[in-house]
Amino acid sequence: MVGILIRMKLAVLRHSTTDAKTALNGLGYSAGFCLAVATLVLAFLDFSHPRLLMDLLAVTFALWALGWMAGPIFAGEPPLNGEHFHRQPIPRRTLAMGLLAAALVAVTTAITLLAFCALIVFAARLSWVAVVVSVPAVVLLLLLVVLLSRVVTLLFRMLAKSRLGGVVTATVTAAMVSLASFSWILIIGVSLLLEYGFPPAFSTVVRSLPSSWSLIAVEAAGRGDWLWTVGPLLALAVVVAALFLAWSALLGPQRIARPVVRGSSARQAARRGSLFRSMFRGDQGAIYLKELRTWWRDPVRTQGIVMGPAFAVITVLFPLIFGFTAAFPFVGAASALMAAATCGNSYGQDGTALWLTLMVPGKEKADVRARQLAWLTIFGPLTLALTVAGCLLHGDAALVPWALAATIAALGGGSGLLAWVSVVALVPGPDPHKSKNSPMDHGDVTGQSFLMFFLVALAMCPALGVAWVGHALDLPTLLWASVPVALLTGVLGHVLLGSVAARTLRDKGPELLYLMRSGKPASTAGKTGEEAGKSPFEAMSGKRQTLMWSGMAVGVLGLFPQGLAPLGIKLSGSQAKVWFLALHVPEPWQWPVIAVMVAIGLAGFWAAHQVYRTEKSRLQAASSRLRPCP
Amino acid sequence: MRSPTTAPALRLVGLVKTFGEKIAVDHVELTVPRGSFYGLVGPNGAGKTTALSMAVGLLRPDEGRALVHGIDVWEEPLRARRLMGVLPDGLAMPERLTGRELLTYLGQLHGLSAGEADRRADELLAVMELDGAAERTLVVDYSTGMRKKIGLATALLHAPKVLVLDEPLEAVDPVSAATIKTILRRFVGHGGSVLLSSHVMALVEELCDTVAVMARGRVVAQGPLGAVRGGRSLEETFVDLVGVTIGGGEGLSWLAS
Repeated sequence: MVGILIRMKLAVLRHSTTDAKTALNGLGYSAGFCLAVATLVLAFLDFSHPRLLMDLLAVTFALWALGWMAGPIFAGEPPLNGEHFHRQPIPRRTLAMGLLAAALVAVTTAITLLAFCALIVFAARLSWVAVVVSVPAVVLLLLLVVLLSRVVTLLFRMLAKSRLGGVVTATVTAAMVSLASFSWILIIGVSLLLEYGFPPAFSTVVRSLPSSWSLIAVEAAGRGDWLWTVGPLLALAVVVAALFLAWSALLGPQRIARPVVRGSSARQAARRGSLFRSMFRGDQGAIYLKELRTWWRDPVRTQGIVMGPAFAVITVLFPLIFGFTAAFPFVGAASALMAAATCGNSYGQDGTALWLTLMVPGKEKADVRARQLAWLTIFGPLTLALTVAGCLLHGDAALVPWALAATIAALGGGSGLLAWVSVVALVPGPDPHKSKNSPMDHGDVTGQSFLMFFLVALAMCPALGVAWVGHALDLPTLLWASVPVALLTGVLGHVLLGSVAARTLRDKGPELLYLMRSGKPASTAGKTGEEAGKSPFEAMSGKRQTLMWSGMAVGVLGLFPQGLAPLGIKLSGSQAKVWFLALHVPEPWQWPVIAVMVAIGLAGFWAAHQVYRTEKSRLQAASSRLRPCP
Repeated sequence: MRSPTTAPALRLVGLVKTFGEKIAVDHVELTVPRGSFYGLVGPNGAGKTTALSMAVGLLRPDEGRALVHGIDVWEEPLRARRLMGVLPDGLAMPERLTGRELLTYLGQLHGLSAGEADRRADELLAVMELDGAAERTLVVDYSTGMRKKIGLATALLHAPKVLVLDEPLEAVDPVSAATIKTILRRFVGHGGSVLLSSHVMALVEELCDTVAVMARGRVVAQGPLGAVRGGRSLEETFVDLVGVTIGGGEGLSWLAS
């Protein structure tokens, strides 16, 4: 069973890979590889504070576990799941064993294993007995994160079928993403950490997590404390076994029925009230009403509604641990930013329903605008209210213009960008009626969410820039001018990007429909004739060109000025810091930062090379097709 | 070019579509006369859905044209699509609406007055038996047969002249199927034209007056039903035309042994 399922998984992956996916995966793997190397390097460092290394490793392992738990929510379901086999007469335990083995055969698992080898490095610094203990400890830790990920996915999948479950899923996910993104506090607070270590309460909490138990065992082995070596390992083995049993129990057909959402009655559907009529008049009004009903009735959209605000609220509450409240006014802006980042797949979510838009031509603009308005209707008042509440709670009027400008710019920019991204970077997935019982089964929107996040953040820059200049020059008028600037950039983003999206929808509608029907972009077969004899650079699509040149830019920047140059400076013993990030961080972090920068640079070059190579092989395949048969 | 008043209901001229290495539709020529009930038959993978998608403007052809009452679907989409009602196979709808909400929504997009849209939605839902107990059910929770029926209702809503239906009766229960057949016969009886695709020969023989047989992306025969089948059953003619041998007789000795 194990061998069969591994081969089956590899076959599924082989057949579902497109070159854009390969390039994106390449970037993701490179980033993961950098993080793994950083984790490994961490274990080599010396700290003045004796317990700090262990605490840092514990936090890092907890973050890896969080990543594994939150990952599938963005990336969609794993290629093989229990549902695929529930009609086959295979005992659940056997199936779970096979699926676990198949899950372990993955680049992500290899990267995580590399990161967890930090435990072996840590052990090597203690004693050889600790090294012996660290090997099973690493294996158990890896099994823990993989199983956690699978069980959490199944639980979420069960919950996410109802709207209430959607709220729970979104809140838990938001908490995980928020916690994971808080790793930056470690970097900001590193000088404090180096001096005082983690607060004892924090380190107790982190060490009590199952992801730290193998670390505790290894450390105890180093001290020769056998009770604390065997105990945590046994406990971890019990947790792993329990997770495995829970997973195999959950694998079968789903037993919890999906709560059915009912629509309006005949009388309500044909409402005649004058207010109702004037609100939903014309094409845009009709589509707007359809969108609002969908937002209200679809559990997947409920998740989308809750995710952004939940993320923002948890994110501003987290620094309360340090008594820091200055983030409060920005809770609305963070909600809007996250809401835009998670709602960028509007057309992809509706799937092939696009055919109806194509069948009634001339309504593309109304369609795009209605979607933008529906999003603004849901998130506009909500995020503005959060901003006001945050400002009142914080109480310092100085931050109000910043908070207002950021929220308005994120709302406007977000509503423009989500329309645009949803047509130019559409992620196809199963049609909504096919995935109604498995809402986690969707396309991998990780890349799209990141793209949206950075673009919306970029759209907030002009307004925040004005605020910053006003603040720096001590000109309150200029500081407050950031609010109308935000309004202006917001309206421009909403109007212009919406129009571009509508035009793309009109011109490329059938191609988008094909993408959603087949899961891959429209065939380029018609173009091969003109493409013959061209170099990959010339024949490459705009999207791939951007991808390749961005890879090159990251490669050049990472490897030379941020990697090799500070390396040379450090080796030569010079004190010059210039703009090299590595030389600006505290001493013990300088080597790891250089290592990470070199790795990022190499990853950038590798990604660019991958894009070039896939384009080249595509061209070769096309030209061999064109050659006449002998 | 014939004027729109005398042009056939639907004409496909040299349609070609290639997916990678595979030629899905290979220079398909098809003429659906006005007032005809036209059946397009072929085995799975023959290119029926691809050809129909190109005919109605949902898939861009590599070559060729599609004309509805003489109007080019790809050059004058607005005029052409007003004349057409389309039922694609297995595509999504605005899933979180009820049948009535969906029809009201589409009626508004088609520019029908509110009263007219409501009246038509009422009648269509009653004929398709999607009112009453099913009134508040969202499309996402419809059964396969109900999905076909609401799909047909959306195709009929704006009173088109030509219906293009991809597998309209697949997975539909016999009662619903009888309803749909009656509606389609009435539509043709009142001067409309229907082009439907199916791989169920009996259905095509029962409903259609004209047929075309597609195999491997090409139209291998077309004309009045009687002429194409030439005194035999359509199934026998089909097997001959498509050039397949019926499998299932060999192997499988382990089964039920």
